[in-house]
Amino acid sequence: MRSTVNPEADTEPGARRIDRSSILVVEDNLEDAEAIERALRHTHPEVRTEFTTRGTGVVDMLLTREELPGLILLDLNMPGLSGHAVLAAIRARPELAGVAVVVFTSSTAPAEVDACYAAGADSYVYKPVNFTLFRTVLKGAVDYWQESHTGSSGPSGSQPSAGEAEG
Amino acid sequence: MTDTDDHRDEAGASWPARLHSLWLAAQDVRNVEDMALHVYGAMLGEDGVTAVTGTRWNGRELRYLRRATRESQSVTTTASQRAAATRREPPAADRGRAGGRPVVHVHDLAEPTPEFEPEAAVLREAGARYAMESRFRLGESDWGAFSVGLARRPDGAEDLAARLTQLSEVLVASNRRITESRAHEQRQVEDAFLAEASLQMDASLDAQETLARVARLAVPAVAEGCAVHLFGDDGALTPVASAHVAAAAQPWLAGLARDDLWFAERLHEVVRGREGTVLTGEDLAGSPFGPGTEGLGRAVLAVSVSPLRARGRALGTLTFVYHRGEEAVASPRLLDDLARRAALAIDTTTSYEQRRRHVEQLQRHLLPTALPEWPAAELCAAYEVADSSLEVGGDFYDAVIDHDGRLAVVIGDVCGRGAEAAAVTGLARHTLRTLLEDGTPPARALERLNTILIGQSTSRFVTAIAAVLAPETGGGCAVQVSAAGHPPPLVRRADGRVEEVQVAGLFLGVVAENELEPTSLVLAPGDSLVMFTDGLTEARSASGVFFEELLRDAVRDYAADPGGPAADLVARMSEFRATGSDDTAVLIAHVKGTR
Repeated sequence: MRSTVNPEADTEPGARRIDRSSILVVEDNLEDAEAIERALRHTHPEVRTEFTTRGTGVVDMLLTREELPGLILLDLNMPGLSGHAVLAAIRARPELAGVAVVVFTSSTAPAEVDACYAAGADSYVYKPVNFTLFRTVLKGAVDYWQESHTGSSGPSGSQPSAGEAEG
Repeated sequence: MTDTDDHRDEAGASWPARLHSLWLAAQDVRNVEDMALHVYGAMLGEDGVTAVTGTRWNGRELRYLRRATRESQSVTTTASQRAAATRREPPAADRGRAGGRPVVHVHDLAEPTPEFEPEAAVLREAGARYAMESRFRLGESDWGAFSVGLARRPDGAEDLAARLTQLSEVLVASNRRITESRAHEQRQVEDAFLAEASLQMDASLDAQETLARVARLAVPAVAEGCAVHLFGDDGALTPVASAHVAAAAQPWLAGLARDDLWFAERLHEVVRGREGTVLTGEDLAGSPFGPGTEGLGRAVLAVSVSPLRARGRALGTLTFVYHRGEEAVASPRLLDDLARRAALAIDTTTSYEQRRRHVEQLQRHLLPTALPEWPAAELCAAYEVADSSLEVGGDFYDAVIDHDGRLAVVIGDVCGRGAEAAAVTGLARHTLRTLLEDGTPPARALERLNTILIGQSTSRFVTAIAAVLAPETGGGCAVQVSAAGHPPPLVRRADGRVEEVQVAGLFLGVVAENELEPTSLVLAPGDSLVMFTDGLTEARSASGVFFEELLRDAVRDYAADPGGPAADLVARMSEFRATGSDDTAVLIAHVKGTR
């Protein structure tokens, strides 16, 4: 009776397909990446996760795709292109407007939070040390963004700007 | 999920072996519904069993019904509904236990069976003529029934009843294990959250920033949204921090926290009642939240408000906004504990800020606002507060021109810190100032202060120097200096030579008869009288050297720069100092003109 879950892909007019059950994790710390993988396997076994350790090239890689992940979990402190720069690069591309970007970091400093929101992050989520709490927090963020795209229950997330041109 | 092969294996094994494997599975299963599937399979393997049903109840409310038949091996689930009033519940749980023993009933499905609906109808439809039901309690109002539909009357079916009971016991046990492990996990999450919240609260001594950090930490760990209100100076509840998991929803939540009347009323109720509250369903009527509203508030299913109280005082409120269901609302334990910690942190930071302001105000009153202008000599002073402490220091200095036009200068140190030291400091400074202004010689002025201190029976003693400078007709000044237990002042000659002034005298406030001798000296034009407190001499380098050993060189070399030599001396000491952070005062009188 176990059926494979259908990817809840939704198609916006004029925009790329977005697969809400797919998550891209941009995280250079392998321990953290492993923790994210383990946590999501437990709380969202149906979600497909893809990992990259470098921010460089993330946007180019996404632009080659026909189907985009519904959510990007973004670490801020990475060698090479920083999380802030990745965030800015993602938000500079209207094609990626339908992808929710959740900054997942170990700082709660108000200035850092403000900077991420100003740069267009959809969520700013604190990365706790304790794994069980880590899993709870991650579940909260993923649930929120999945819910918010499944109809009336959630607030509308980032809308692709392509639809607006049709007036 | 039980595929046919699995089922055949289960059916082929002996009953004890099958039961044993189910008990093992019960140790590992995450959710009781998964367990039920194994159990249904085991029962369908019994002779004469045509169908199996499982129901889960919350009091009179049916949460789900699942049925499995031998033919389809499939499980269908029916969603929640209200049961007929005739449906029987199992007996209450045994004292001290969440679950209860399963009780087995046999039903003749040819008769009306209102106490066994809706299973009776489902089993009849599956072709059963009789039914055997096992009812068992899982929690206070949580209970279940596990039933089999039978083709024949279960005569001499002791065996079947025993097996149904045994399988029900497996379900009760696995449910208990799952409930306990979820509660344990929940507690772990809460403890971890509280620990992290405490760390965040220690990260800053600024109340506003602390609360912003806590709100940030709480979403989405506790809820989707968080708002903190504190009583402002005007006595009104004012939002000081808010956070929402969605960036786009933050201005919305902040706006409600600031302007919404329904919100404000709930907060005031909680402050008045001193008890936290959780608002769901009907409670949200008239609010900007819930399915009855438009926009972002629609997704909100629950709101919790906790009072922030410390030392018997209402400080404000802590609000959480949940997009998850009522069952996901944080436990009262978590909410109360978090509110208590936050209130303490706010109380600490605000009293710290208040105290720092008081110290600054007090300290200002202990020092002259400006040094007097005097024709024959220039004055400069510097004061450094030991920054690691909030206590008011006891160092003081002053300068006043007396009735005969002479310049009187004072420097001193009251032992200790804090309110009493500050009071004695004020007393000492003003006493000396008044006496010296009236022309009292320095030694007499210090003796009078000694008498006053003895009369005050304070435990604080005071060290001080008083000096009076009188201009000489040929330029320069005649100086009378008297010291009471204070580090001797230095004279810096115009050519850079540094001499220590020979003064001696017992500190003040200890013995009643304290006769002090004045010392006389002459300062030529360009000479300086350098007075300081022991914070300067007792500063130590990392290697343990006292600044006192370098003091003469420092005085010889000090810059007559715009900042003034006093500030220069203090700066040099500060740079040198590795340990010892007493307050430091320096007062320098530099005689004008050149020789």
